[in-house]
Amino acid sequence: MRHLRAINKKARRIDDLQTATDGDVVAMQQNANAAQRPHYPMGCSIVFSPGWEVDSSGGTAGLCQPVERDLYDCYISCYWPAQVPDHLNNYPEWTSKCAAATKDWRNIDLVFP
Amino acid sequence: MRKLFGIVAFASGLFAQIPVTDPLVVAKCSGCHSKDEKGNLSRISWVRSAPEGWQQAIKRMVRLHGVSLKPEEARKVVQYLSDQHGLAPEEAKPGIYYFEKRHLDQEKYPEVVRDACVSCHPYGQAMNWRRDAKEWDLLVNMHIGFFPVVEWNSFRGMQRGPAGPPVPGADTRTPVEKAIEQMKTDFPLETKEWAAWTASRRQAKLAGRWLLSASQPGKGRFTGEVTIEPGASPNEWVTRSTMTSIESGQTITREGKSALYTGYSWRGRSGANTNAVREVMMVSRDQSMIEGRWFWGAYDEFGYDVKLVRTEDRPVILATSVTALRAGKTTTFQILGDQFPTGLTVGDLDLGAGITIKRLGRQTQSTLIEVEVEVAEKAPLGPRDLAVKRTVAAGAIAVYDTVDYIKTASDTAIARLGGGSTAFNKGYMQFEAIGFNRGLDGKPNTPDDINLGPVKAEWSLEEFFAVYGDDDVQYVGTIDKSGYFTPSIEGPNPKRKFSRNNYGDVWAVATYKGEDAAKPKDGSPITAKCYLVVTVPQYMRWDQPEVAQ
Ligand code: HEC
Ligand code: HEC
Repeated sequence: MRHLRAINKKARRIDDLQTATDGDVVAMQQNANAAQRPHYPMGCSIVFSPGWEVDSSGGTAGLCQPVERDLYDCYISCYWPAQVPDHLNNYPEWTSKCAAATKDWRNIDLVFP
Repeated sequence: MRKLFGIVAFASGLFAQIPVTDPLVVAKCSGCHSKDEKGNLSRISWVRSAPEGWQQAIKRMVRLHGVSLKPEEARKVVQYLSDQHGLAPEEAKPGIYYFEKRHLDQEKYPEVVRDACVSCHPYGQAMNWRRDAKEWDLLVNMHIGFFPVVEWNSFRGMQRGPAGPPVPGADTRTPVEKAIEQMKTDFPLETKEWAAWTASRRQAKLAGRWLLSASQPGKGRFTGEVTIEPGASPNEWVTRSTMTSIESGQTITREGKSALYTGYSWRGRSGANTNAVREVMMVSRDQSMIEGRWFWGAYDEFGYDVKLVRTEDRPVILATSVTALRAGKTTTFQILGDQFPTGLTVGDLDLGAGITIKRLGRQTQSTLIEVEVEVAEKAPLGPRDLAVKRTVAAGAIAVYDTVDYIKTASDTAIARLGGGSTAFNKGYMQFEAIGFNRGLDGKPNTPDDINLGPVKAEWSLEEFFAVYGDDDVQYVGTIDKSGYFTPSIEGPNPKRKFSRNNYGDVWAVATYKGEDAAKPKDGSPITAKCYLVVTVPQYMRWDQPEVAQ
């Protein structure tokens, strides 16, 4: 593909997009020598499976879709106890207002431990 | 044998425990934390922390162990424990960013704590404690007891496959064992810093008039003053502050209160409604300076970096209205400060070689000097000291010829979806572009490059291609030209595949629009970008606002 030159505007745009895509996707996978490699913002949990604020690549592409689907699980297993209230000890009542978080997400509470 | 035991015990800090003498703390805590014949309360006498650390632990005592404390009792307990079982200023300084709620581009921590500790919370949570060795071990038990999953998602290493046969001589310790060894070495109970601080500290005498200089990303710099007066107790202070924006001229006035812990930890609140801020600052050892951050916002994402200096009977330079001067140009700017002498002439000011002080404006206030300077075409590039008679502001202004490149203030940024329900507010992000000159060696991106301060730029978002066909940029939110990012609402978005949330990762891109934008060297605009993660709300907020008065 590289040895063909884009001749019209649209083709050029596709070409540019491809270059940008390759640049970013590759930058996620390799390390030091990439020009500007994203890293995790401070404070993000790096317990991945799939991850809370970020996934294991430092982005959001691999998070639960949507996170509300997984919330109940996180809560029950206290998987991210610094990010999601835990059912086990601290907040046994947290999800009582929303049986299905994907539908009732507007009822989810913010907790100040 | 006894003697030997004594030596060993001393070396391991067994005698460094701190007896609890306050009757309220003894009354409230000794029911479970038993008191020994020397007045030590179990656990409590073997740990030290900052006010927020104590507040957080005590809240857990209330939440999980049924301790009952009225708010004013809790305040007294936190005051006593922070004073007597606190951190020395040198111990608190490296971790103060955690309480100042700063977003660090890259938190510094030893590699061994990465999986075991930093996987859940910032290192700031751990590094603001000092404990004896046994207490560090008990902390591990506390985590396992409350969050059993920690064993396999962090403490024993994440997602490890079945272990092969052990390699002879290999380090077979688990991540948590390595991490806790590091904590024991780096953060012991007994330190020379704490010994020195407790021996020499004295009652803080902060009353008086203080000069303020501050800056806020995207909004520029401010100058003003703060009057501090004694409050209801020796550890409380009442404040009145004014600050004026150099950029807009707008003045904000705030009244506030602060508590002072451990003789130097300022935790205050001031202002009302949209001007309300929380103040986390450290008083310098000689009590001549107070420095820290005043912040607000759902995620404390907005804030000023603030510095207060005590007024003395002498002139002070606080700020200049420009941070860089262009070679070959004549510029008029302001010097802001205090007690500038009257009758200044051009000969009283100095900015070094190649800069001619042409004219001073008519002096109407002792806090302001207006000056016109001409910078020679060939003036040496780099930072300059500004002298007004014998008062010198080191590196106050930089001389440059062109803006060679720009950088975003940090490499990564985080914003949080919100505003869709009443519980979660949006976590915004204000970006800022900083201009740089290539410096003496003529090469950009080298250590001698000259920081010219914030420059004019226009901001936009670009897709960050984490996966092929990535479309986050359409959902995450919007950025205005000035670099103010407003995230979208939280919750599932039925318009996205699998009802994904509006989260995403994008580039925030700054395009330089200042003086040199019209004639870029290689024909393309000068840009810089910052990796922005727009993510889900934090359902828990580890925040101890109670420590501020
Ligand atoms: C009702 C019993 C009870 C009372 C009263 C109590 N605690 Fe505790 N405390 C515990 C238990 C149980 C633990 C161990 C589990 C934990 O860390 O939460 C503990 C642990 C601690 C720890 C060690 C935590 C760590 O980080 O390892 C500190 C510090 C502490 N308590 C402080 C206090 C203070 C200060 C008071 C008085 C205001 C107090 N406690 C009153 C039950 C109590
Ligand atoms: C599973 C996530 C998780 C991991 C991994 C983790 N922590 Fe914690 N940590 C927490 C949570 C949640 C709290 C708050 C507990 C509370 O007060 O309810 C906490 C609290 C603390 C505290 C405050 C103690 C107190 O008495 O309030 C310290 C210090 C600490 N952690 C240090 C560490 C260290 C050191 C490590 C690594 C060995 C570590 N943490 C690993 C989740 C974690």
